Amino acid sequence: MKKKCIWLCMLFLFGMSMAYAQEKTVSGTVTDEGGLPLPGVNIVVKGTSTGTQTDFDGNYAIQASSGDVLVYSYLGQTTVERTVGASDVINVTMQEDAEALEEVVVIGYGNQEEKKIIQNIGIVKEEAIENLQVVSADQLLQGQSAGTQIVNASGVLGSAAVIRVRGVNSINAGSQPLIVIDGVPITDTAGNTLNRGGNTGINPLSYVNPNDIQSLTVLKDAGATSIYGSRGANGVILITTKKGRRNSAAQVTFDVSTQYSQSTDVPDILTADEFRQFKSEVATIQNGGTTVTPESLGLGAIGSGGTDWLGGVQRTGVSQNYNLGVRGGGEKTSFFFGMDYQDTQGFIIGNDQQRAGARINIDSDVQEWLKVGMNLGVTNNRLNRVSVENSINAPFTTAFLQSPVVAAFDDEGNFAQSGSFIPNIFARVALNTDELKTFRVIGNAYTEITPIEGLTWRSEFGIDRLDLEETLRNADFNTPGGSAQVVSVREERYLTNQTINYSDTYGEDHNLSVLLGLNYEETLRSRLNVSATGFLDDVLRNLGAGATATVLNGDRFPTRLFGLFSRVSYDYKGKYLVEGSIRRDGSSRFQPDVRFGYFWSAAAGWVISEEPFVQDIDFIDYLSVRASIGTVGNDRLGTFPSLGLFSIGGFGDYNGESGAVPNQPENADIKWEESETLDIGIKSTFLNGRINFNASYFKKTTSDLLLNQILPPQTGFTSISRNIGEMENKGWEFELSTVNVRSENFEWRTNFNLTTIENKVLRLNEDAATDPQGRRIIDGAIQRAIEGESLNNFYLIRYVGINSQTGDAEWLDANGNITTNPGSGDRVVTGSPLPDFSGGMTNTFKYKDFDLSVLMNYSYGNEIVIDGLRFADGNDAIGGIVNIRRQNLNIWRQPGDNAFLPSPNSSTFNLFNQRSTQQQLDGSYLRIKNITLGYNLPEKALERLGGFITGLRLYATATNLFTIKGDELDGIDPEVTDDIDPLFQGETFFTAPQAKSYSFGARLTF
Amino acid sequence: MKKTNKAIAALFGLLMIVSCEDRLDVVAENNVASSTIFSTFATINGAVVGVYSKNQSGDLNGNPQLMSDFMSDNVNFVGSFPSLQEVDQFETLATNTTIDNIWLDAYELIGAANNVIVNLPPVDPAEINGLDEATKAVFVAEAKFLRAYTYFQLVNLFAQPYQFSGGTNLGVPIVSQPFEGGEISEFQLERSTVNEVHAFIEQDLLDAIADLPVDNGERAEQASAQGLLSRLYLYRENWAGAADLANQVIAAGNHPLAANYDFYNNAETSSEHLFVVINTPTDGPQDESVPGSDEVYVNFYNASPGGRGDAPFSQDLIDAFNAEPGDRRFDELSVAATDAGGNNTFFTTKYNDVVDNASDGMGVRVTEMYLNRAEANFRAGTSVGATPLADINTLRSRAGLADLTAGNLDLDAISLERRKELCFEGHRRMDLLRNGLNLRPGGGPESAPGADKVIFPIVDDETTNNPNITQNPGTF
Repeated sequence: MKKKCIWLCMLFLFGMSMAYAQEKTVSGTVTDEGGLPLPGVNIVVKGTSTGTQTDFDGNYAIQASSGDVLVYSYLGQTTVERTVGASDVINVTMQEDAEALEEVVVIGYGNQEEKKIIQNIGIVKEEAIENLQVVSADQLLQGQSAGTQIVNASGVLGSAAVIRVRGVNSINAGSQPLIVIDGVPITDTAGNTLNRGGNTGINPLSYVNPNDIQSLTVLKDAGATSIYGSRGANGVILITTKKGRRNSAAQVTFDVSTQYSQSTDVPDILTADEFRQFKSEVATIQNGGTTVTPESLGLGAIGSGGTDWLGGVQRTGVSQNYNLGVRGGGEKTSFFFGMDYQDTQGFIIGNDQQRAGARINIDSDVQEWLKVGMNLGVTNNRLNRVSVENSINAPFTTAFLQSPVVAAFDDEGNFAQSGSFIPNIFARVALNTDELKTFRVIGNAYTEITPIEGLTWRSEFGIDRLDLEETLRNADFNTPGGSAQVVSVREERYLTNQTINYSDTYGEDHNLSVLLGLNYEETLRSRLNVSATGFLDDVLRNLGAGATATVLNGDRFPTRLFGLFSRVSYDYKGKYLVEGSIRRDGSSRFQPDVRFGYFWSAAAGWVISEEPFVQDIDFIDYLSVRASIGTVGNDRLGTFPSLGLFSIGGFGDYNGESGAVPNQPENADIKWEESETLDIGIKSTFLNGRINFNASYFKKTTSDLLLNQILPPQTGFTSISRNIGEMENKGWEFELSTVNVRSENFEWRTNFNLTTIENKVLRLNEDAATDPQGRRIIDGAIQRAIEGESLNNFYLIRYVGINSQTGDAEWLDANGNITTNPGSGDRVVTGSPLPDFSGGMTNTFKYKDFDLSVLMNYSYGNEIVIDGLRFADGNDAIGGIVNIRRQNLNIWRQPGDNAFLPSPNSSTFNLFNQRSTQQQLDGSYLRIKNITLGYNLPEKALERLGGFITGLRLYATATNLFTIKGDELDGIDPEVTDDIDPLFQGETFFTAPQAKSYSFGARLTF
Repeated sequence: MKKTNKAIAALFGLLMIVSCEDRLDVVAENNVASSTIFSTFATINGAVVGVYSKNQSGDLNGNPQLMSDFMSDNVNFVGSFPSLQEVDQFETLATNTTIDNIWLDAYELIGAANNVIVNLPPVDPAEINGLDEATKAVFVAEAKFLRAYTYFQLVNLFAQPYQFSGGTNLGVPIVSQPFEGGEISEFQLERSTVNEVHAFIEQDLLDAIADLPVDNGERAEQASAQGLLSRLYLYRENWAGAADLANQVIAAGNHPLAANYDFYNNAETSSEHLFVVINTPTDGPQDESVPGSDEVYVNFYNASPGGRGDAPFSQDLIDAFNAEPGDRRFDELSVAATDAGGNNTFFTTKYNDVVDNASDGMGVRVTEMYLNRAEANFRAGTSVGATPLADINTLRSRAGLADLTAGNLDLDAISLERRKELCFEGHRRMDLLRNGLNLRPGGGPESAPGADKVIFPIVDDETTNNPNITQNPGTF
């Protein structure tokens, strides 16, 4: 009722102003800084509802009176006000909004004005990524946002990056963030594909074309994530794809590029003759000095040839990328249409990928009160896989291990058998098939009804459907009789989001916004995994041609999630802001009595720059402080974590009879993990937007931490999941962006971010194993989590070096005394895979029509364990048949030698390469991740081309060009990890390095 | 109007909430819940079959036999797995992954067996279609046999033999209850003595002998338990018991000696087998990424391609066969090939299914009964069932060798026959140790009987999770 009164009053006032003012038509053109017409600029007569928009050419006409103030507003540009004077023509040049704080950004289940945001979120906008040439969307986040750490697993195509938002928040329930594409939380089951080592589960972010992405929002604090309830604990990444633009001519962007990729760095290993000499020398020394020839060791004579396996598994991969985007819209409908095709060759033999994708995003105003739209992305991917590590089928493992004296080909040029269990990898790759085909549809359709001003009911129906087929076919040469395996997985998720949003302003100053929502998701994963052996011929590719077929898996995993949520935001004059949210989640994973959980958050903020006493301070554009507290959950627990289960099928059968074997002990009380986060931050902008500085401190405590409590082996089970632990992550995040130089022709901007995270295990289960000091521990072969300390600590025997007098390798025992025969009791904490700080820095330079951007990422103070060095160093690994790194030639021969390897006569000679800090290296690095040099053809030149083309950009990009790292990392890529499991971070086992690539391309806009 | 709209919206929302909550009840489709495992005949049988399935693990039948043969003088291990090299060099650490798997898999099997042994007897057969008391007893007896079989493996590998100190030395922990999610302290037991473990095995086998049928297809039957008990008695130097049980099997006539050596692969119906561990290509691996069976020990025994070529004949064993040429156990059961180290040598063909890794594991053979009876009789000076000479000559004639005469039959001759028959089947290590012989020809103190590392350390997984466990000497 009150509302109606206000409307009536306004109408009345409006009428009065019409009556008294002298009206005329004001017209003009609105252009941007570069003089290009801006279509779709909103123009209103201040204080009235009279308004219009500029047309395609930036022209407008509006009825106004002398003395009226016209307000020109456009997303991303500073709003301009002009008073109507005598002239009928007002041309306006709009300036890019330096603060850009008035932009609306995407948050969980809604949008919010950036300056009013009191959640802690990281925003990666279109400008930051539009010129980044990347293969996969996770690379768009790399080094861009504080608190978001992305470690590429390896340079193998299709391998998923390890994404951590504010560190590891869980031990056993998964630590990957939830990824939401246009409102659809997508599935990311790691076990959908066959294990190829090194985190080669499918990269969930490879199903969205990076060129289609408009912005990414990383939700970090509980204030932002608690609206995602039981799935928010690891952070949430919201991906918004490009939308069309109203009232603008269709703009076509066509991008073509070619990429050349190589490995970043590989260790130097021995040639065949070096290997022969080495083995011969060692044997001679061990033989008391009597010469042992390589021939007598079965290695062939010096000069009798060999194979450069490591060289042979690498190549220069040549890739082609094509991308087409069309964006436009009319008065009521706008659309974005995207298409891409990538034909990628990895730098490892046998590793290729072809990806084709298409997207259509459309939205339309059906009625003033009804808006409908749809976002739909389709991706088709064909990947020739190779194993990443720790497998005799992994080119980069086998090429290191294979003896260089082994011939790859016989005299006729045919593949030769290696003669050992380490296969002829050239033959494996060339003759075997290892193909993964995926097809994925992610999309949603929505209606938005606005029955009354300020109230919006949005109804979304989404789908994420993944169809995957993986085919292995081993040739007879490699597997006698041949073998085949086909894994077929379908994972489908249907969901609906129903949200009601109401916002209103009470009086002048009280702004209230209320969100009520419902979220229901049904996910069904079904899998068929069949193998066959006994093929007559290699060309018979299919399973049915094999003599013996086995069903390895045939199963379905249904899960359902049902959430109700609400968020209330209130601010007074945009100055004092409070926000609260709550979500109730129910999950089919749990027993009915522990099925529902409540998650909440409360946040408050104060925009100090809105205060009069600050408004007078010129150099402060914006300054705010905020704090939030709240809870979130983590439900990555498997399908039926609470039931006592017996495995059936292939696992339980015997001699053709069906059987059942115990698989999981009953666990009725299990529930999701909950974490509570406190977050305090400031956000500021100075000197007309030239300096932006944000800082935040957070402390996140995960309680009910799911621990795979290791069961005593006598139980017959290895572990049971229990909510018994507690862990804390706390740290600081800093973001500084500056415009260092801004002149007519030259501009230099820097974005820098830094994150520190300190992890501490507060509580492990009471019956956990204890160390001699009585502290509870979770022990692993390389790492050990100790109560009261960081989750990740390398726990190894300390290696000292070779005693130059005795030629013995020396270690420290637990008490710090030198020993030549250490045991597992001598392990101590020796380092941490978690960096002291890490982050990224981007420098962009613009000179006339050239632009250059340099993206770096860094990590400092972390150690890595290169477990493969146990095999690549020393004389005896795998019976001494494997190749080794070149530094091993430095054997201790006489007193005084400063050697790498002990004396062959030393009792430590074969112990030398046992697990110790010898494989632990300093993992600090600074890497030039991406350098892009671009040239935009100037307008004049474009005009000379006929004016049809509105933009032509030529660019060259280099990735992983250069890395600053310790000398001991020579040949080792510091930025790889072989496992997504939180307990195994910073470990690798011959993991393939990342790719170093160069690409050249052109982007055409018309 | 608006009120109506609101009401409709509210109703719509409410309906949605109600219907959604109902949908959170989802049934497990891929597994049998522990609450229903003993509710039908099929699932009860499945629980028993599951114990056999556990026994298929290469860590229980495959690797232990392989290691026993290369720790002794039958196999020259040239392979590269560090965990196996440690064992080969008598430097086995508690962190050794291969022995860890043996320990874990053994107690998994024991847990599965305990579940049947403890939870099946209270089940009322009247409530289950197809089940009667006799069948129930057979199921329990099968589980007891498999439990005994597994404890015997464990105690042989992780404890010094009976001869070390008359069985008073530490054996392994005896778990006789299944874990059902409750207190774990009941599963942090201390080690029982070898005598106690042997007594437990003996009791299980006596129970099994009483309840198992004479013919149980390819599953455990009376002779399986009798054969294993004969071996236990032999190892305990209970000569009369060993001879008696071996004789019971032979005399019953259900398992005549096979005429030739064709029983090694996929011949599980051969009368030779008292108990065979059947592997089939389709019996399901533990690792989904490996097609076929995952009994990788098959790889070790076979040369490349297909196999790893890690476990050829030792020169000592080749010499032993060469000393008396024409032995069909060598001529028919070996193949010349190159090993992983590039040397020309011989490999056994007892496990030659390299395509599917589905070679059968030799559990208890009737041949062993002849050998047990011969040895026990010889040592006791008895001739229960037959003279030692007759038994040995029965086996020699099958091997195509001339009979021995009474004059040249001694314990060494019996042991040599035992070695040639049972090589690559995992007996050699215990046969040497219990006879006080060094595992290696000309071997040093590290391979001498009673040495610390002729047995395995208690694995790290056990010691870190069980404060009551005692480690073996020589491991810290």
